[in-house]
Amino acid sequence: MRLSDEEKRMLDGKNGPLVQKAMANTVEYGRLVEAERLCQVTMAHLFCGAHPYLEAFASRDFDETFSEMAFISREKLVFDRLSPNCRCQSDVFPFSSNNWSEMTTDQDKVALNDIYLSRFSAMGVQLVGTCVPYLTGFIPLAGEHYVSSESHAVLLMNSLWGARGQADGIEAGFWAAVCGRTPLWGLHDPLQRKGTHHFLIEANLETVSDWDLFGHAAGLKIPPLAIPVFSGFSRPDIHMMKSAAASMATTSGAEMAHFVGLTPEAPTLEAALAPGAGRETVVIGPTELEQSRAMLSSGRDSELDYISLGCPHYTVYQLSEVAAKMAGRRVSNHTIVHVWTAAPFKEIADRMGYTKIIEATGAKLLTSTCPLVSGRRPVGAKVMAFDSAKQAHYMKSETGGEILYGSLDDCLKSAFSGRWEGAKG
Amino acid sequence: MSSLFKGRGVMGGRVVGRALVSRLPISGWSGLDEKTGLIIEKGHPFEGRSIKDHILVLSGGKGSNGWSIHFHAAKVRNIGPAGLILPRLDSRLAVTVTVLGIPTIVGLEEDPFEVIAMDSLLEIDADRGLVSILDEN
Repeated sequence: MRLSDEEKRMLDGKNGPLVQKAMANTVEYGRLVEAERLCQVTMAHLFCGAHPYLEAFASRDFDETFSEMAFISREKLVFDRLSPNCRCQSDVFPFSSNNWSEMTTDQDKVALNDIYLSRFSAMGVQLVGTCVPYLTGFIPLAGEHYVSSESHAVLLMNSLWGARGQADGIEAGFWAAVCGRTPLWGLHDPLQRKGTHHFLIEANLETVSDWDLFGHAAGLKIPPLAIPVFSGFSRPDIHMMKSAAASMATTSGAEMAHFVGLTPEAPTLEAALAPGAGRETVVIGPTELEQSRAMLSSGRDSELDYISLGCPHYTVYQLSEVAAKMAGRRVSNHTIVHVWTAAPFKEIADRMGYTKIIEATGAKLLTSTCPLVSGRRPVGAKVMAFDSAKQAHYMKSETGGEILYGSLDDCLKSAFSGRWEGAKG
Repeated sequence: MSSLFKGRGVMGGRVVGRALVSRLPISGWSGLDEKTGLIIEKGHPFEGRSIKDHILVLSGGKGSNGWSIHFHAAKVRNIGPAGLILPRLDSRLAVTVTVLGIPTIVGLEEDPFEVIAMDSLLEIDADRGLVSILDEN
């Protein structure tokens, strides 16, 4: 691998042991994938906080924990700096910052999380705490290299405007943020971004819920390492793409998708596909969507303990929609209803009166995490409903509880009655 | 039929272990319970199986970018896998191999999902890029 003089200096330890280890790990990653050089990472979206996976390492010391769990170093490194050339935002936290008691009674964990977040804050990570960083100022432009710990954000930013990033992993995100480099391979390489498979959409996708289900169904048919090219759809909006990316990045490993006539690297089907690729067309039709729905939802006429909305985090427009649909109603007294968003949107929702309307129904508007990432749900909740295929899919494996899945309208109707009112059977 | 196959050893070392084999990609997040080492992904052929000391024959990662951390956390708890055999590296797998540092073979000359049976006993010699099937199970 060819390294620049500056990269060699980092590897030689001239910038200290933390940068040296971050660079050594990055070079090792590059060696595995036969990268010829590194590229400069200017934006990093990082998984900060006292997340549950860190408990594997039996220490509460921030530096000891992250030395092993982020930098694979048994020797304690002081994790106190990031590359001056890389702008960093935090992904979701393990606890809701404005109302953590909704999700946990473990004050000890909350305190530890606060300590960890203060360390990230001190090194300059902006504690935005959302899975939709591209809506809160984390916007790598076309051709700009970034890392992100959120699977759908990677898929969306690569696809919708041609920024360059990969799924990688939480550890590699920290290495890139500290040394400002990642191996130049895969989607970082402009020559490796062409489509490999053609998918024809034969289902009518008109709502956010349709696109959410489509993403799940398409993901089931996307093979490892594939870059799908989609045609046959009518124009979606950002909310539809947000949900489609989230569910597609749940059932597949897709890190990029071309939508013919919509995404910039897909002006036509031919231009989007690699030479010789896409000879067979895979159809995503109503049958595939129905199969996905059946996989995601028990479809039983059950009483609901919990309904969680806002995966990925709702935008302020979605909050206005929820407020309009909930205004003047009361949620069932045996059903807890949470609506998740990013802190900046909560601020706007407060100003606009949406928060007041939503919370007057008995529901709560919360920020900065979700049931999946926190690994928590309200105490005793066993039967749960979601309007997100991503959340429904993961919570099924995580909790073993009964899961129901439907549109926002299905979930809101169910919130008022306390029973599942969406599709049955 | 030969039971010795050649590939590219991307992470060196020798190890013996039973194989978990599936062409279906797997989730890390909500796929592996790193506290027990058990696969919890509903409907996956590995569901309910432990990865501890096994050689995983996988086609790719999927789902959350928090893939490597779950295998990493399992390793720190001493219930991680012993080795990996992969047709190609996707970005989730490449970071995971870097983090785990366990013997790993990529690009076997034969389709590993055809020639390696579930639960067969394998030896990986990643320094020489070799996989041997010691017994079928």
